[in-house]
Formats: sequence, C-alpha cells, structure tokens
Amino acid sequence: MIDLCDISKIYRVGDEEIHALDRVSMTVAEGEFVGITGPSGSGKSTMMHIIGCLDTADYGTYRLDGQPVEHRSEGDLAVIRNRKIGFIFQSFNLISRMTLEENVELPLIYQGVSPHVRRERVGAALERVGLSNRRKHTPNSISGGQQQRAAIARALVTEPALILADEPTGNLDSKTGESILELFRELNASGKTIVLITHDNHIAGETGRTIRIMDGRIEGTG
Amino acid sequence: MIFQSFKMAWKSISANKPRAFLTMLGIIIGVMSLVVLVSLVTSATNSVTDQIASMGTDMLTVSVMDDKGNPLKQGDLSEIAQDDSIALIAPVSQASGTVKSGTETVSVSIEGTTGAYFQIQGDELASGRLLKTADVENISYVAVLSNEAAVEIYGDANATGRTLTMSGRKYLVVGVLAEDDSMMASFSQNYTVYVPYTVTERLSSAASGVSSFYVAATDAEYIDRAEATVEQALLSRFKNDEDAFFIFNQDTLAETMSSVTNTFSLLLGGIAAISLLVGGIGIMNIMLVSVTERTREIGIRKAIGANKRVILSQFLIEALTICLIGCAIGIALSGLILAVVNLFASDTLTFSFSGSVIIVAVLFSTFIGVAFGIYPARKAAGMHPIDALRYE
Ligand SMILES: Nc1ncnc2c1ncn2[C@@H]1O[C@H](COP(=O)(O)OP(=O)(O)OP(=O)(O)O)[C@@H](O)[C@H]1O
Ligand SMILES: [Mg+2]
Repeated sequence: MIDLCDISKIYRVGDEEIHALDRVSMTVAEGEFVGITGPSGSGKSTMMHIIGCLDTADYGTYRLDGQPVEHRSEGDLAVIRNRKIGFIFQSFNLISRMTLEENVELPLIYQGVSPHVRRERVGAALERVGLSNRRKHTPNSISGGQQQRAAIARALVTEPALILADEPTGNLDSKTGESILELFRELNASGKTIVLITHDNHIAGETGRTIRIMDGRIEGTG
Repeated sequence: MIFQSFKMAWKSISANKPRAFLTMLGIIIGVMSLVVLVSLVTSATNSVTDQIASMGTDMLTVSVMDDKGNPLKQGDLSEIAQDDSIALIAPVSQASGTVKSGTETVSVSIEGTTGAYFQIQGDELASGRLLKTADVENISYVAVLSNEAAVEIYGDANATGRTLTMSGRKYLVVGVLAEDDSMMASFSQNYTVYVPYTVTERLSSAASGVSSFYVAATDAEYIDRAEATVEQALLSRFKNDEDAFFIFNQDTLAETMSSVTNTFSLLLGGIAAISLLVGGIGIMNIMLVSVTERTREIGIRKAIGANKRVILSQFLIEALTICLIGCAIGIALSGLILAVVNLFASDTLTFSFSGSVIIVAVLFSTFIGVAFGIYPARKAAGMHPIDALRYE
C-alpha cells in the first residue's frame, strides 16, 4: 500500500540544513496497523505528511497503491487526499464555526456527492463513533474525546483505504485515549490500513508493528 | 455546488455580523449614492423633456434678425404655408404694456398674432372666442387674455365682453384662455394679452414686417422637412445669409437638454462609482484579514481534499456575497430615500428608480466583489497545506 524508498526532506533555515528525513525507506502492506514512535523532532510528522500527500519529498520515490506520487499536480494530490486518505490530528482540527455534522460533511462536498447521499453517510459515520446525538453541536461545546471522535468520523466518511493519525491521543487522558485506540482497532479489523504516530510506548505496543524513528532515520522495527 | 458555496459564504459572513456590516457599509453608501443621484437626475430630465415634448415637437420658432430692408409680410408666410409639411404659420410680435385695473396698473406682455397661434400652442378657451381672420384684416382693437391676466386685471376669469385700457388704447375683450397647468407655466407668471397682429404692427414705431413667427408641422415626423422648407424660403428671401434668421426647433432643445443631463448623470455616477471603489478596497482589506485568521481552516480544508479552485471560489464568493448583499441593501435604502424625496417634491415631478442604474449598480458591485476579492482569494488558495495547518 505504502512504499517509501530513500525519502529525504530537507528544511533550510538560514544557512543551516535540517534533515527532517534522511533516506528513509519503508513499506506498509494493506490492512496493516503500524505505529511510529520516536522522540520529538525526529521527523514523524514530516513522514506522515509525505505519506498523506500533504507535502512532497525532496529526494526519493513514494508509491501509494503502486502509483508514484512525485510530479503529480496539486489538484491530483487533493483528489488523492480526498478519496484515499483520512487524516486525524493531535489537535482535532475541526472547523469551530461549523457543527459536527457540517464538519463531517465537508470531504463529501469536495467529492461532489449529492446532498441526499451525504446526509446518509454523515449520519452513519457519526453513528459509528457514537456521536449521533451531538450532530448539531459545534466543536467547542463538546469534550476533547468527542472532538477527536468527530474528527475520526470526518476521516471515515469518505471510506478511505488509509487512515493517518498524528498523535491522536496526545491531548486526551489515558482512559479517553484508550477508547479512541479501541476505535482504531475496530477500523483495522474492518480492513483499513492505519498508520499511527505516538509518543506513548504503551499505545505503540498495541499496534501490529512499530517503527522507531530517530533524527530522520529509521532505527528499528519491532 | 454554487448554492452550496453561497450557503458556506453566508455562514462565514454571519459568523461576524458587525464586521460584515461595517465592510458592507462602503458598498451600501456607494450603491446608494449611485442609484439616488442618477435616479434624481434621470427623473428630472424625463419630466423636463416630457414637458418640452408636450409643448409640441411638431413646432418651430423662427426669428428674423436682419430683414435686409425687405421685411416679411403676412402674405409671405401664407406662401411658405403652402408646403405639405406645414400645417399652420402664425406671426408673433412681442411687446410689453401696462393695463389699468382700478387704481393699480398691471404690467403685461402683449403678443400680436393671428388665430393660428392658439392652434399651434394648443391653447383652449375658457370663454368667448379666439382671434379671427377678420380681426386681423380689419385691424380691430380686440384682445384675448390669458387666464392669469384676466384674474389679475378683473379679479376673476369672467372678462369676456369687458373693455381693457392698455397703453392708452381701448380694447374689447373677446375671449379668455383656459388655465395652463403645465410645469413650464408654473415657472413664470403669464400675464399675456393677445391682440391681432396688425394692431401691434400699426402701433409699433419700428419698421413694419414679421420679425418672428411660429410654424406647426402637419405631423411631428415632418418637422425636419418643415424646417428645411422654412429655411429654404428664408435663405432665398434674405440673399442666402444664414445669419439673417434663426430657426428654433423644440426637438433640438429636447435633444440638447438630454445630452446635457446625460453628461451630468454620468459625472454624478462617476463620483458615486469612486465611492463604490473605495468600498471595494475596504472589502479587500477585510478579506485579507479573514484569510489570515482562517489560515488553519484553509489548511484543514486542503488536508481533507479541497483543491486550489475550491478555496479560491470559496473566498471569492464570500467577497461577492458581501458586495451583493451590500448592493441589495443600498438599492432598498435608495428606494426609501426616493420615496421621502417624493413626499417633498412638487406634484409635477416624481422621482423613480432608473432601471438602467440598478443594472449598472448590480454589475458594478459584482465587478468590485470579483476585482477586490480575487487577491485575498488567491492568497488563500496558494497556501501550502502544511504551513497552513501549523499556523497558530
Ligand atoms: N517548516 C519547517 N521548517 C523548518 N524546519 C522544520 C519545519 N518543519 C519541521 N521542521 C524540522 O524537521 C524536524 C522534524 O520535525 P517533525 O515535525 O517531523 O518532528 P516530529 O517527530 O513530528 O516531532 P513531534 O513529536 O514533536 O511532533 C524537526 O527538527 C523540525 O524542527
Ligand atoms: Mg509531530
């Protein structure tokens, strides 16, 4: 599903070059549940952005579903993000002036799905994360755990094959975090490929495979 | 999709109503000044040109400035009137005089003419009769009074059959004209005494002859032919000297009038358009602020699949929506202002929306929304998703 080969990402700040990713190679098969850990600043988020087509690598090749992603137009990348990938962030990233329902509906609007079908699928996605009774609420009137569930509903609503989560439990207490993790396990069981970034060794232990990153390089898998 | 975009735009605009209203204010004031000013000028113009038209677009006024020692006679006029395009010709000589009314004297204008004059002017009688051919031929001392003159001199309009002493001579009043309620008439007092043309000719110390006359064409569409006929006749009479006489065409007056007022309304419209432009700059300013404030939102939208075009149209439609709502409010307020102006304006003048200015206002607001919305929208669309998501 994911095939990274010698991927490098270099940021230049003034005269200094920061190798956020340094010739990283790895593969993730369809249906896998992969955890990525590593200290702060090691390049986890940078890797996830490249995998999620939010950013492009400076060197190396990346194939998603066997298709090379380099040299694709911005419009093509937007379509890939919209149809193949669901993002979940540490800070939830819901749009605060819209209701949960409207937030979850947004990716479907960009897909051009008809209003009737949208309503059905939004309802189903919210149902799945247990937020059917909060559909008219705005993000700032519900708890962090509920916000993260809404964000997961938004990632699920387009039925993507790949879910990318960047420290989804980072802002939550361990009990709430556990319930979110349970949700991920369910999704994985239903066939979705999941890449989850975390600081938490306990959570990393729950995934099928853990990849450890250090200073932009893969240190080991286990 | 378009409906969806306007709905989204409305949602983000209504998220901060006071700001949205203040942003719109520039457009509201711009549209209001555009619509009100141009509507006022257009309505006034229309009513004036209507009045001119009601005075007869089938009429010419001819003045002879230099008769080259060969003055026009009534007979010459009859000859000109032979042409098919000409219905009537009436000589007019103007003078002023005083009429004794009890102990007071009234200044009047005296018009020496023939019965045809009243037909050309479309004047109606209130009582008595008009001037007849016999009056003119016999040089009779008879007079027809304008309604105002009769009221001023006798206290009421029932003057037929009474006598009138004007500039030392006695006249018999044979008729009184009906009141003239047109707007032109209300501009001035109309104390006019009409007497046979031959009477003024006899009394005048100057050389005799027709110095000015009115021509009515058989139909408004023959007016140009009538003018050509009169011009031809006078040219051959006055040794091809174009400056010897002057032909005044009501139609030309109406045209000049509307070209002057068109320029005027263009000028006012231009000034109003500048204020709209300033309103547009206000919109651009707020849209730029809004794009910066919503950087994170833009990042989120891009992450879940919005492409450049979608983000661009979102912000463009937002700017456009602000402009069009402002435009609608501006037009509504203009209607209110025109209604208030109408309350205070005279009865003969009604101010109404000029349809074309409303179209211009809507088109111009649309243009401003797009022109000033495009830069902030492009800024939003061009953001890198990661940078936008990192923005705090
Ligand atoms: N836009 C940028 N400009 C310059 N340097 C950057 C930029 N983005 C990331 N970096 C650098 O790249 C390196 C990797 O950053 P990244 O965000 O991937 O780390 P991370 O592993 O996700 O850390 P954390 O666990 O704190 O989220 C860091 O050294 C960071 O300073
Ligand atoms: Mg990170």
